[in-house]
Amino acid sequence: MRLYNKNIITKLLIASLLLMGFVGCSSDKSNSSGDKVQITFWHSFVSSTVPALNSLIDEFEKEFPGIDVNAQYVPTGDALAQKLITSVQSNTAPDISWIHAHYLQDLVQSKAIYRMDHFIDGENGLSEETMNDIYPALLQYASWKDTLYSLPMEATNLALLYNKTMFREAGLDPEQPPQTWEELKSYAKKLTFDEDGDGRNDQIGFFVPIYPAGGPQSGWMVWQWMPFLWQSGGYIVNNEQTRVLYNSSAGAQALKLWQDLYFALDLSTFSTDFDAAFSAGHLAMAMDGPWNLPRYKDLLQNLDWAFAPLPAGEEKRATIAGGEYLVIFKQSEHPDAAWQFLKWMTRPETQAKWSMDSGYLPIRHAVLDVPEFQEYLDENPNFKVFVEQMEYAQAQRSLDYYSMQILRHIGEAIEMATVGERSPQEALNISAKKSNDLLDRVER
Amino acid sequence: MVPNLPTDELNNPEQPNLPTDSLSPETQRESEAVEYNENRLDKSGIQAFLFLSPTLVIVLTFIVFPIFFSFYLSFHEWNMFSTNQKFVGLENYIRLLSDPEFWQVLKNTLIYTIGTVPVNMAFSLAVAYALLQKIKGRKLLRTMFFAPVIISPVAAAVIWRWLYDPNYGLVNYSLNIFGIDPINWLKHPQGAMAALIIVGIWKYFGINMVLFSAGLQAIPEHYYEAAEIDGAGRFAKFWNITLPLLAPTTFFILIMSMITSIQVFDLVYVLTSGGPLGSTEVLVVYLYDHAFKFFNMGYASAVAYVMFAILIVLTLVQVKYMKSKVYKAI
Repeated sequence: MRLYNKNIITKLLIASLLLMGFVGCSSDKSNSSGDKVQITFWHSFVSSTVPALNSLIDEFEKEFPGIDVNAQYVPTGDALAQKLITSVQSNTAPDISWIHAHYLQDLVQSKAIYRMDHFIDGENGLSEETMNDIYPALLQYASWKDTLYSLPMEATNLALLYNKTMFREAGLDPEQPPQTWEELKSYAKKLTFDEDGDGRNDQIGFFVPIYPAGGPQSGWMVWQWMPFLWQSGGYIVNNEQTRVLYNSSAGAQALKLWQDLYFALDLSTFSTDFDAAFSAGHLAMAMDGPWNLPRYKDLLQNLDWAFAPLPAGEEKRATIAGGEYLVIFKQSEHPDAAWQFLKWMTRPETQAKWSMDSGYLPIRHAVLDVPEFQEYLDENPNFKVFVEQMEYAQAQRSLDYYSMQILRHIGEAIEMATVGERSPQEALNISAKKSNDLLDRVER
Repeated sequence: MVPNLPTDELNNPEQPNLPTDSLSPETQRESEAVEYNENRLDKSGIQAFLFLSPTLVIVLTFIVFPIFFSFYLSFHEWNMFSTNQKFVGLENYIRLLSDPEFWQVLKNTLIYTIGTVPVNMAFSLAVAYALLQKIKGRKLLRTMFFAPVIISPVAAAVIWRWLYDPNYGLVNYSLNIFGIDPINWLKHPQGAMAALIIVGIWKYFGINMVLFSAGLQAIPEHYYEAAEIDGAGRFAKFWNITLPLLAPTTFFILIMSMITSIQVFDLVYVLTSGGPLGSTEVLVVYLYDHAFKFFNMGYASAVAYVMFAILIVLTLVQVKYMKSKVYKAI
């Protein structure tokens, strides 16, 4: 009896250990089921975009019945990067993934992804005409050291969100949003006041996004500052990527504008969730992207609001171009099927549908010729503002080295100039020195 | 040779065919012993090992291996994407120690530790002592004070972020009643650390309170009775009996609180993310940023080992200089 028991226990234990082993091994690498080729696609779009993505994939699968796209959602971009790391290490990388441009350096240097010319110049490639049609700013982000490693899936940029009713109340023309920095400053001041006289502003004219440089919102803050740097003629880094240039006088001017606004509007005690403040009628102007348009249709129902192009600086008009990029992994068993999907994504018709469903911007000019898209633009003037801004939208010269750290240093400079009350030039110099020290460490 | 065997041995159904006559009792005992040992080996060796193996596998893969791998990594440069690590010798450590940011981070961690540990200990001892007296509702109070320990740190941090909010937070509202202007606590370079320390004390003093009250209850009542007969007052009793006899508990709590404080992460990450101006960036946040934001695994491992060294040194110093005092007192 005792012997029997012992055997059972031993067997159970061995069985459970084996089972554990099998569970560990069963990560789906068997990609082909029958004739169908299955490709995995990882992304972390905001959840409201997922239905649009699903219908897009359905359309693709209808057109290419031999390819099955298995889209997998990872909740945040940072989590996706960490997941990619482990998958590359354990040889279970997806076929295609959606990435932030900052991770390109690491992916390229570890030889995890294909160069895009590998496919573009191939038999089933893309014509030069198509490549020239894609907004150059997006292709710049998609490249590392002037070699294209990814393709944009959609574009975004920043525009000025403003409350028309507040403009009227302050005696400003609601159809004439600020066109220059000077106007932005004076409008912001006019729109800021303390209603009940308790020494605190009850209405704020403009939101200057100040977040902790180490925090999750820091990238978003830097992203909003960059258009101002370009508008005054500045650059992030030189062409050889050996020195940062954001501490030039252009940079100091751009930061001075933010600092002036921050102190003039007394933003140190202002809450940082600007969209809540805007929808509650406490905030008159802020910068925001097209991805929030579908949300605002419901959230801001009771307000009279609109988007306008960002005001121009002394040098030029500029806004920041962004977007998400698709890369193909070398571990993919079906790189050609994966490429088929990427290629299909660049078609004007696909882009038009994707843009209208998701609220993101198209990646190329030709989409504007699609009749449905034209109609859509006429019906959605706010969306049109973003699409038109793409013509002068600019990418930061994509940083080849230490992208995340340098962006963080810029965030630190912004924080030093506002919260820390240092002069803009001094703050930028401290930060630029740190970035240059990093660039000096690069083995070229 | 020895014919008289115990009868029950003969009746034993498990060994019916044993040629008992030919065996001496010594041999018999030996064979029994062998059988017993085999049994024991089987039971306690293989079986025990099998029972332990799942845990052992987990401990080895997820605890022991990472500890050594991290040590190995601290001498390498690795971005985690590539499959091989580049050996750089002591470079990570040299860079670390010459980085002013690291010293700032170390200073912040020290301020946080000095800010939380003594107040926490004094406060938890006082509360534990007060709640041992027979007062109404002490069970409820004890539960209330212990509750923050159970709450997830992230949830606690979210609650406090709301309390500290400059526009609608309860803290500023309360201060406003006394005519104090609202402060944006978490955005203020000096206020943020103070705000963080308050949350840190609130979050962890409950556990120390429980430990102290266990320690207090372990002190035999007759010491106090004897002291009372000698005419000792409340303070004298506390100073001469309670404190010395509580020394082992105090010592334990001191070490544990210091380790917890130096390792603080989630509260800081959610409340301030190290800001403003890096004034609340503590060691583990710094380590996390380098590992999982900048993908400098080697550098982050070096930070982890420097932190390990600090903790070891602090603990050893405390053990060496305080143990003698602690145990003499008993």
